[in-house]
Amino acid sequence: MELFIFVIVIIGALIAIASGIWVAFALGSAISNDGKKKIPSNTKET
Amino acid sequence: MSMFFSLAVVVAYVILLTFVAVRARAAREFEEFSLAKRALPLALVFGSLAATYVGPGFSIGFVGRGFNSGFLFLGIGLAYSLQNILVGLFIAPRLRELKNCHTLGDAFGQKYDRKCQIVAGVISVGLCAGFSAVMASAGGVVLSDVFQLPSWSSVAIVVGITALYTTFGGLRASVITDAFQFTAFASLLPVTLLLAIAFHLNGDPLTFTSQASEATINGLGSTPIIEIVGLVAAFLLGETLIPPYANRALASKTTKISRGGFVLAGIFSAVWFLVMISLGITARSIIPEDTGEDFVLLNLVKSIMPASGYSLLLVVLVSVVMSSLDSLLNAGAVAFTQDIVKPFANLTNGAALNVGRAATIVIAIIAAAGAVIVPSIIDGLLLCYTIWAPAILPALIIGLLVKHPRPLAGILSMGIGTIAAITLEFVFPNLTEIPAIIVALGAALVAYAIGHWIGSVKTRV
Repeated sequence: MELFIFVIVIIGALIAIASGIWVAFALGSAISNDGKKKIPSNTKET
Repeated sequence: MSMFFSLAVVVAYVILLTFVAVRARAAREFEEFSLAKRALPLALVFGSLAATYVGPGFSIGFVGRGFNSGFLFLGIGLAYSLQNILVGLFIAPRLRELKNCHTLGDAFGQKYDRKCQIVAGVISVGLCAGFSAVMASAGGVVLSDVFQLPSWSSVAIVVGITALYTTFGGLRASVITDAFQFTAFASLLPVTLLLAIAFHLNGDPLTFTSQASEATINGLGSTPIIEIVGLVAAFLLGETLIPPYANRALASKTTKISRGGFVLAGIFSAVWFLVMISLGITARSIIPEDTGEDFVLLNLVKSIMPASGYSLLLVVLVSVVMSSLDSLLNAGAVAFTQDIVKPFANLTNGAALNVGRAATIVIAIIAAAGAVIVPSIIDGLLLCYTIWAPAILPALIIGLLVKHPRPLAGILSMGIGTIAAITLEFVFPNLTEIPAIIVALGAALVAYAIGHWIGSVKTRV
């Protein structure tokens, strides 16, 4: 039982860290997409 | 040297945050300021929701509760997780389906009538200002503690920086910076737990679980059942769909993302509470037994980390405060523009954007001024919860679920719910042992039923 609770706590900490990393990737993607959107549309076509 | 390092870490953090906020761009129209053009992907909805609800209470507060009462507060916190999941499954998608809906007030306007929209708008703005004052107060406490600054200047720094990027960037800047702040605290605090377990408990499960059971038995013995019922009610209902959460439901790219964002945020909250409570339990073997509840996290980090750890903790705590504060400022400003100004004035897109920006600054000033009179973080939050749930939830949830809700029912429920909550909280605080939030919620439901019945009779006649 002790080991079970302990393992759950460790897994919980790892899930929280993984969530942070997932959101960091989404943030990077959102920021870089924003940069692309700044290019005027007429420039894109030419 | 330690002060210099603390300052360097904070300056580096502010530069990084500014870079992220600038990359999020200034909002160019009200639709972007209020709803980020309804284009938020799942990861950002989830990250922003989690960053908004993890404030000082769900971090410093939960670590302190874990230290004193073990896993008792994990059980209570699960009510909050359940609430988020239920909102995700049943309410958020219905809210997202409404067309031209910018705020909860808009939802009231569409389901009931314009009067209900204005009343909901006033309650939303008031609540956002109240919550913002609590967050500003918490941010001030953290900065004053580290830099020995006067309280007012610490509050001014935290509120000033947050208001700056929220005023220009609107919801999109708020969500983008939330994601950045979420990454900071969702990584650093669990890493602190793993380090404490590995190096201070020597990875021994028995030490951890014996401390956990001792603290939990202690917590159960010292907390009356009626208090546990009140806390479960507050966690289950108090923060349900407050304006910043509703804005994220409305700003999701699709109804599916809206649903998924809330469900994932609910699941994450359970994991987060487990990590925070475990930090508190771990601290029992490391720091003195008589440490005050609000200082457990601070002292734990001081004990197990080098001097730089304290600076990192500062960054984490400032992130926790700012990510909640920016969401509240934006939600209050949008509610003011959409639900209070727009029903009376035909605003152009540019004018609405300017009103929203001005409102952000005014709410930030009110929050900074109000921070001085906030009694304590937890008391301030519980007060806001007690008013929000009875004032808004019955009318909102029933309005979204039934086909023809009656405007009279909406007005009566909001009015009676607000009056009952304020009366029980301020005028007769000792009137009953039953928690004020439950009594006021009951009053709001009865008022709704009466209003619905009168409305139905009038319609038939």
